[in-house]
Amino acid sequence: MIKFEEVTKKYGNQEVVKNINMHVREGEFMVLIGPSGCGKTTTLKMINRLVEPTSGRILIRDQDIMDMNPVKLRREIGYVIQQIGLFPNMTIEQNVDLVPRLLKWDKERRAKRVRELLELVDMDPDLYAHRYPNELSGGQQQRIGVLRALAAEPSVILMDEPFGALDPITRENLQDELKNLQNKLHKTIVFVTHDMDEALKLADRIAIMKDGRIVQLDTPEMILRKPANEFVLEFIGKHRVAGGGPATVESVMKSNPVIIGPERGVEEALALMKHKGVNTLLVVEQDKRLVGVVTVEKLDKNRRRASTVKELVETDIPVVAAGSPAREAFNTLTANKLDYLPVVDEKKRLLGLVTKTSIVNALASFVWEEETA
Amino acid sequence: MNPLLELLTRSWADILVATWQHVYLSLGSVALGALVAVPLGIWLSSRQNIARVVLSIAGTIQTIPSLAFFGFTLPVLGIGVLPAMVVLFLYSLLPILRNTYTGIREVPGELIEAGRGMGMNDRQLLFMVKLPMALPVIMAGLRISSVYIISWATIAALIGAGGLGDLIWGGMNVYDIWLILAGTIPAALLALLAGFTLGRLEKAVTPRGLRST
Repeated sequence: MIKFEEVTKKYGNQEVVKNINMHVREGEFMVLIGPSGCGKTTTLKMINRLVEPTSGRILIRDQDIMDMNPVKLRREIGYVIQQIGLFPNMTIEQNVDLVPRLLKWDKERRAKRVRELLELVDMDPDLYAHRYPNELSGGQQQRIGVLRALAAEPSVILMDEPFGALDPITRENLQDELKNLQNKLHKTIVFVTHDMDEALKLADRIAIMKDGRIVQLDTPEMILRKPANEFVLEFIGKHRVAGGGPATVESVMKSNPVIIGPERGVEEALALMKHKGVNTLLVVEQDKRLVGVVTVEKLDKNRRRASTVKELVETDIPVVAAGSPAREAFNTLTANKLDYLPVVDEKKRLLGLVTKTSIVNALASFVWEEETA
Repeated sequence: MNPLLELLTRSWADILVATWQHVYLSLGSVALGALVAVPLGIWLSSRQNIARVVLSIAGTIQTIPSLAFFGFTLPVLGIGVLPAMVVLFLYSLLPILRNTYTGIREVPGELIEAGRGMGMNDRQLLFMVKLPMALPVIMAGLRISSVYIISWATIAALIGAGGLGDLIWGGMNVYDIWLILAGTIPAALLALLAGFTLGRLEKAVTPRGLRST
């Protein structure tokens, strides 16, 4: 779908992208990741010619993009940026249907498309279409940013750290939504991030970049199993790499439990539980510090008296510290007949959740991997 | 009888004619100024080096004392409405030019990037993003320009352009304070009115999504 052939980009004498070869397949979610200055954003922006390569070729569907009209090319490629960049002088509707307007779609088709898109992310069109961006929260704004990129039904979408400026909870929600969208829409997505968790969660394949080169390009699974070198190992974080069996709680925990902020409403919490199919939510502050848990029984019983989750949270719960042996967590679980055990770091920030199922899964993949190896 | 009332009854027609002359002299100059300065400011916004030169030239024009400026044009353009308009036009340029230039330069970079990345051409980027975002600032330039051109137009009477300046200078020659006031008060009222109207217009053109309230 998108082919890089020996692509190099120089600014003056400085080579920021060095001889890159990469093939992004049709319908693939490709994540470019690396430390700042590694050339990942430059690589991305060469695809819609916001940056033009110094040498080499980039082909989309076997056509050299340098032979295409850049304006026309960009209208066929969705683009989402970190600063969101919604036009404050336009309504949500005008922002979303911008590319269709540039492409001169007729009015009815555009209006229908806007409704369809807003409904896709559960935003009521009657409520939101005529609002302005500054009337929306950051998370809602970036939802619109993503919809705007989808509007003209491009087959390729470029995303430049789209969730980088959002708070952790909103970021996870948007990642989940993007993943769901991608399961439905099967776009070819090139996504830049510096957050390894985000990459592992979203990517079909990850290209790890350093100093303008691709150091390793593979599936998340293979990158975790066989990091190409010390840099990759360092970058993905040693604790994620498999080896020697599940030793610490981190290797047996679920890393994205269902969470909620203490200020959220009781009804919202119940809706989230229903949506995610869980009976307990972990209550965390914006900085991910664990406050406690809230259960469906308690929410349901007090839904008239209490308005926010904060009033119903149980703070006195057993937790396990990061780095503890997995065995210890398992023992605590079975001895106290617990269903779950939150994992926290030294600052009480939530890292994940150990459940019996998560331990069994970790053990199973460990055992079966040993057998096939 | 009150001397002001007496003056008004005797020469209300002169005052009205002078006010009308004043209005078209100043608004005409500002309108011409805007016609030149807005497109020029837009053109300069993507040419920083030339912009620096042009803005400093416009800034220098601004520093020439107006009395002297009218004097300079005398040998070239003679007297009358035309030379007055030329001078006032030159004075009106800077605020409009500077505000257009800065207004467009200050459009947030991410909006330009988003617009370009989504496939707007230069014209669409200008009319759909840059101008609507910069319009309040451009209007402010127009307002500042109008207010002080109205007040400076009084000096234009010296080179025979007419307007409310005629009454002021006439009053000064014959030591008639009431005649001076008959020119000054309408001129001040005109400036206030222009400031108020254009101020309202400035608010009206601010995109709803950019208003703080």
